[in-house]
Amino acid sequence: MKFSTFLWILIFIISNKNSISAQDSGPVINSRLNGKIIDSKTKETLPGASIQIKGTTHGVVSDADGNFYFQTGQKLPYNLVVNYIGYESKEILVENDYITISLEEEIKQLTELIVVGYGSQRKKDITGSVASVPKENLDQISPSVDNLLRGAIPGVQVTQSSGQPGASSSVRIRGGNSITGGNEPLYVIDGVLVYNDNNNGSTGLSFSGAGANVLATINPSDIENIEVLKDASATAIYGSRGANGVIIITTKKGNRGANTVSYQTYYGIQEVSKKLNLLNAADWATLRNDIQTSIGQTPSFTAAQIDALKTSGNYDWQSAAFRKAPVQNHQLSFSGGDEHSRYAISANYFGQKGVIIGSDFNRTAIRANYEKDISDRFKFGLNSTASNSTINGINSNSGSAALVAPNTLAGVLLTPPVVPIYNADGSFNVTQNPYFAAVNGYIQNPIADLNAVTNKTKLNRVLSSLFAEYGLLPGLTARVTANGDLINTKQNYYAPSFTTNGASNKGYAAVGSKFVQSWLSENTLNYNKTFTPNHQISLLGGYTYQYTKGELSNAGATNFVNDINKFNALQDGVAVKPFSDAFESVLSSWLFRTNYTLLNRYNFTISARADGSSRFGSASRWGYFPSAGISWNISEENFIKNLNHLSDAKLRLSVGSTGNQEIADYLSLASLGSVNYSFGGNIFTGFSPTRLSNPNLKWEKTTQYNAGLDVGLFERRISIVFDAYYKKTSDLLVNVPVPLTSGYTSVLQNIGAVENKGIELGITTENTKAQSLSWKTNFVFSANRNKVLEIGNGVQQFFPNVPSGVLQLQQPILVKVGQPLGTFWGYKTNGVFQNIEEISKSPTLNGIANTKPGDRKFQDINGDGKISAANDKTYLGSAQPKFIASVSNIFNYKGIDLNISFQGVYGNKIFNALNQQLEIPTLGNNAAGALADHWTTANPSNEIPRAASSPATVVSDRYIEDGSFVRLKTLTLGYTFPKSFYSKVKNLKIYASAQNLLTWTKYSGYDPEISSYEQSNLLPGIDYGAYPNARTITLGFNLSF
Amino acid sequence: MKKIISSVILSISLFASCTKLEVTPSSFITKENFFKTQDDAIASITSVYAALNIDPSDQSLFGRNLYFLTDMGSDYAAAGASAINPNVRAISGLTHDANTDRVQVAWRQVFNAINRANVAIDNIPKVQASESIKARLINEAKFIRALVYFHAVRLWGGVPLVLHEPTSIDIESLKIGRATVDEVYAQIIKDLTDAENLPAAFSGSDLGRATSGAAKSLLAKVYLTRKEWTKASAKAKEVISGNFGYDLFQNFADVFNKTKKNGKEHIFSVQFEPNQAGNGSSGSTFMRTSFNGFGVTEPADIISDVKLFYDIYEPGDTRRDITYAKYLLNPANGQVFTFPKPIFRKYLDTTNYANGANVAINFPLIRYADVLLTLAEALNETGAPNAEAYEALNKVRRRAFGKPLNTPDVAVDYANLTQSAFREAIYEERKKEFVQEGQRWFDLVRWGRLVSEIKKVPAKSGVSDRNILYPIPQSERNINPEGLPQNPGY
Repeated sequence: MKFSTFLWILIFIISNKNSISAQDSGPVINSRLNGKIIDSKTKETLPGASIQIKGTTHGVVSDADGNFYFQTGQKLPYNLVVNYIGYESKEILVENDYITISLEEEIKQLTELIVVGYGSQRKKDITGSVASVPKENLDQISPSVDNLLRGAIPGVQVTQSSGQPGASSSVRIRGGNSITGGNEPLYVIDGVLVYNDNNNGSTGLSFSGAGANVLATINPSDIENIEVLKDASATAIYGSRGANGVIIITTKKGNRGANTVSYQTYYGIQEVSKKLNLLNAADWATLRNDIQTSIGQTPSFTAAQIDALKTSGNYDWQSAAFRKAPVQNHQLSFSGGDEHSRYAISANYFGQKGVIIGSDFNRTAIRANYEKDISDRFKFGLNSTASNSTINGINSNSGSAALVAPNTLAGVLLTPPVVPIYNADGSFNVTQNPYFAAVNGYIQNPIADLNAVTNKTKLNRVLSSLFAEYGLLPGLTARVTANGDLINTKQNYYAPSFTTNGASNKGYAAVGSKFVQSWLSENTLNYNKTFTPNHQISLLGGYTYQYTKGELSNAGATNFVNDINKFNALQDGVAVKPFSDAFESVLSSWLFRTNYTLLNRYNFTISARADGSSRFGSASRWGYFPSAGISWNISEENFIKNLNHLSDAKLRLSVGSTGNQEIADYLSLASLGSVNYSFGGNIFTGFSPTRLSNPNLKWEKTTQYNAGLDVGLFERRISIVFDAYYKKTSDLLVNVPVPLTSGYTSVLQNIGAVENKGIELGITTENTKAQSLSWKTNFVFSANRNKVLEIGNGVQQFFPNVPSGVLQLQQPILVKVGQPLGTFWGYKTNGVFQNIEEISKSPTLNGIANTKPGDRKFQDINGDGKISAANDKTYLGSAQPKFIASVSNIFNYKGIDLNISFQGVYGNKIFNALNQQLEIPTLGNNAAGALADHWTTANPSNEIPRAASSPATVVSDRYIEDGSFVRLKTLTLGYTFPKSFYSKVKNLKIYASAQNLLTWTKYSGYDPEISSYEQSNLLPGIDYGAYPNARTITLGFNLSF
Repeated sequence: MKKIISSVILSISLFASCTKLEVTPSSFITKENFFKTQDDAIASITSVYAALNIDPSDQSLFGRNLYFLTDMGSDYAAAGASAINPNVRAISGLTHDANTDRVQVAWRQVFNAINRANVAIDNIPKVQASESIKARLINEAKFIRALVYFHAVRLWGGVPLVLHEPTSIDIESLKIGRATVDEVYAQIIKDLTDAENLPAAFSGSDLGRATSGAAKSLLAKVYLTRKEWTKASAKAKEVISGNFGYDLFQNFADVFNKTKKNGKEHIFSVQFEPNQAGNGSSGSTFMRTSFNGFGVTEPADIISDVKLFYDIYEPGDTRRDITYAKYLLNPANGQVFTFPKPIFRKYLDTTNYANGANVAINFPLIRYADVLLTLAEALNETGAPNAEAYEALNKVRRRAFGKPLNTPDVAVDYANLTQSAFREAIYEERKKEFVQEGQRWFDLVRWGRLVSEIKKVPAKSGVSDRNILYPIPQSERNINPEGLPQNPGY
């Protein structure tokens, strides 16, 4: 890697040069200064404040008594800049050799320093839409970073797609732009650009369950703050990767002058908040009898047997799958620093068992952040984390077409309640199920599967960022960083011969490994200058280069003699075809930004980035992403300064374009794929074209307009941030359907457009401000409207492929011009046919000959007397919510704090595919409790059809449910012991917390916050046996000294 | 200071200079690297064959997908309780429309095969290899192209005639409208005439490739379908009297015996071999869908009417118990299991119940019995049945009853029939002979009896005149509505 070599040379040159200049200036002492930092109100001294001589990197930290001392080559007078967390920064002119500086507690939000791309800015000067996650959210218990964003910021929707510990969630900032490209935001973790692609944690083994969340490899307790960049003015500096928004994560760095050791721990219990209503043994036997009667078979249960089942012989498979599961976290951290260095070191262990047996997640992570000022001008630092995560997931059955259940959880629910889970001796019943065709002598026992199948993903990740910063001239700083992100994944799978996936293969073992490395070099020059107080300018320019390479391989074997060695001895079985792959990509970028502030009132930002990506066609590798933003601090205007209750007011306007390059590598090239055929009983490999080349393949481009208003009222006790935006994404990377006569189904092209528009409102109020009691409320509201504007090639609609046997046939989701992504499409039901006369007079789905009384009626939407997919399937709702909102109340009373956070989603639909599956009457599977009330001539139900043996089903409005919910997301009660309580202890806090304690929803599945297809933008809102979210009660304490 | 700035600038420019946005794929072959050697050419032809029975994203063309159209959409086969796809049930009940996914998948698979053949035909000439090998490979591709077009033209009528691979992704260049039925047949006959130059036979690791005899047999069938009776009988006779060594197996069961693959009766079979379609899959799903284990739940593919199609076999006709299974030995408990309804068993590998998707039984696309019956039908249609026609028909019948093939046997032989009685006899034999072999729907359409025969099955009363063709897939018409007018009735 040439560029990294250059980087090292560069660092060497700079540090050498610098050490020389440091020697030059070192001995000359032109002034000495003693000082003290105090709180302006309480007059208490403030230890650990950072004091810097303006225009230099020379800084010191106040000691335990608030004192500090400078001896420097600078001549008095000079300006000091004082920073202290929770207080307003202060700039003060020093003329004498002693000074007392009093700091005011920070309240005026607009002067906060906000981290933006490649730097930071005063909130006051920002022209874009940038928001920080409130500190209260960061303090919440969370297994991973994405969770901390939930309900924290307007315009950000976090969906926990699977409750499986360590599984992913999907994050959408201002809606999804892309149809087939990635929609996850870009994460910038201590300067390292990371796209949260769950593929990085998957080696492509079949059967593995929910995707591993690579973000969970980052320890959330290490996070100091999270900023979310939403509009183009803020994100365009990230160019080709800014379109989905940018989340900047800064980890804890340590405070100067105060060495702190802290230990944080919590322990909690999770349980599933709800169980589904399934048939009991007696009802199931009755249903089965009725099905048999309907197809002319003799019922297999006598009335006496059914009576007996009411008292004994009922097996609750669902309850056997769930458990109360512990979760625990331990974090030990050391942080601190002196005037020349800062450090933060932490070690973390997080362990979570899943509420479904056999699933868990463990993470061990260590972090070391270090920063050193070599001289006034030169500093360097390292932010580094290494982690090991292990996920044991539940099985998906995607690899096995014979199984109706998409995963083991659904398998559990579908097992008839008359089948025993265990044998008399306590072992699993894997042989006795008269309603299931045994395979090699074994029946499906999903509880045994959960216990015995190994489905493990191990992720090792090292994420490291080394930076060096040098003040070339007053105001001009050069910064060079070298970042590495290494993700190493190993997956192990073993299904013993008595399990569902193992039975037909006599044991199925597979291993996979993946190694992904990403190197990023960033080189920037930053120039800040205040010409007069009325003219401030800052300039940023830079060049970055990112190189990513990955390799993966997996292999498997079947037909094991016994189950002893599991996946560690593939050679003992019969090999199945192995797989290996490699990929490589390069992103090379130039970036530029300028901010200009006139009269402290008018702010202008212009930024531009040019990105060249190897992923695109040879003819269109480079993309250019400009943006412009202006903001006007209205409250600084004289005509408004006199308004009593208006403390701050700022108007922001921005426009710009950003891109998306989140597609797989090499897609612009024509490729050939291998395919086998046999001659004379010998298998030969053939090659055929699988993809047409597209040399013009290029970025998706999102143009975004944003208008925002920030208002502070009543001495900023009420602050309001309002944004309205319009985003149009064009040149969408779409697999455009082409005529099948070409021999291809689709070609990846830049075609079509999607728009997102919406409003966002964030209100923070300080309701009381008494000395002893404070009460703060955060209200977050966002509404996004998504619409497909164009698909391309004149195509008005297409059904995206659902990667699951049964749903693939049903095509529940339609992408249609004029409708949002995630539009559910199907038939409208119209009750149940009660008699033959009614059938003969009505349009029927399967033809009159095949329709019987008790079958479901469907609506003839176009009125042509027939039920046909083309004409009578219709819009059944959208997975896109009408709005999302959250309200948090934080109370503080004499060390007691109480946080009550509600979160809600309104107006989205969920396709309850699991319930659809459970409402299919079959001879061999258990079914939803509702089927006990099925149609018979004696029970003319107009809701539940007759008992028939027909697993074919169509998407209908019966299974498209309202997904709206309100939930008490967090309830935390804590107590911080007073400082006087114990002399050596700096801080001691104990707390109890409940997550997902209460949920109000009409949704009939386990949990409305669900998505079986995880990060997919095309297939949101489908619940097909997704792992349910848990309710968690935790106790914990934080101790530091 | 200047040095520092210049070193920064220098190093940045050095980064820039080593920026190369070209990455070379290391895990797949690009088009530029292919079609250089003879091995490339052979591999390209292998993929043409593979289009017949391997589709990673669906059930393969001859591995079952075409069966929905050619068998389930006819009279004898139906969708059972385990058929989870409503589209399949629609075909079974003849209520399908242009959105029916099976029709669309078949269309896709047909044109995928045609494109692969086109790619081979367009590119093999530039490969460095012997001209004779190249000519043979191109003729193999032409055979497959003709075979697939022959299916397409019968299923949909005049389909788009695509004879070269696409060179651009420009949508207008990819839109190709329907050709006429005659144009399609002209191309089929042209390709098959070229394919007649193929070798008469292959051996060893080339068994299963298209041969001259396969091309002639298919040509006979094409002429039969076109009602060009003399041409049909002439081609059939070339196959029968040519030096190909074809004959009937004495034992009907051998047609579907995995150890008798590519035998004397098999003129062209789609080859199935365990794991050839990937781990645990041979590309055939027939077994899994006709046999649901030793349980009582109906499989997905079932006989529509036991009385009309199972009970019709005369006593002694060995075809019934090879075609259907009423009883099977359950190896797990050693007991004989009785199915509530006879199940299809031609593709059932009774030695391998656990891996129903990994069977090794070939799909006999053209077999000698078909050529004999083609000859009998063609001769009969040119006038009264002659001795040659009787012999062809009776051979098939003698074999069915386990009689010596070439010895006339009054117990089973047909004799002294009128032309129309002979016709009925052929129709009856074909019905019993070719269950689950992708013939029934084509036969019924050729005879003009599709509607009347299907109407006899109560659950299929939705049949109407429109059903003599399948609809052009709606997704295809969405892209090219002008070029692809819909077939009548859809």
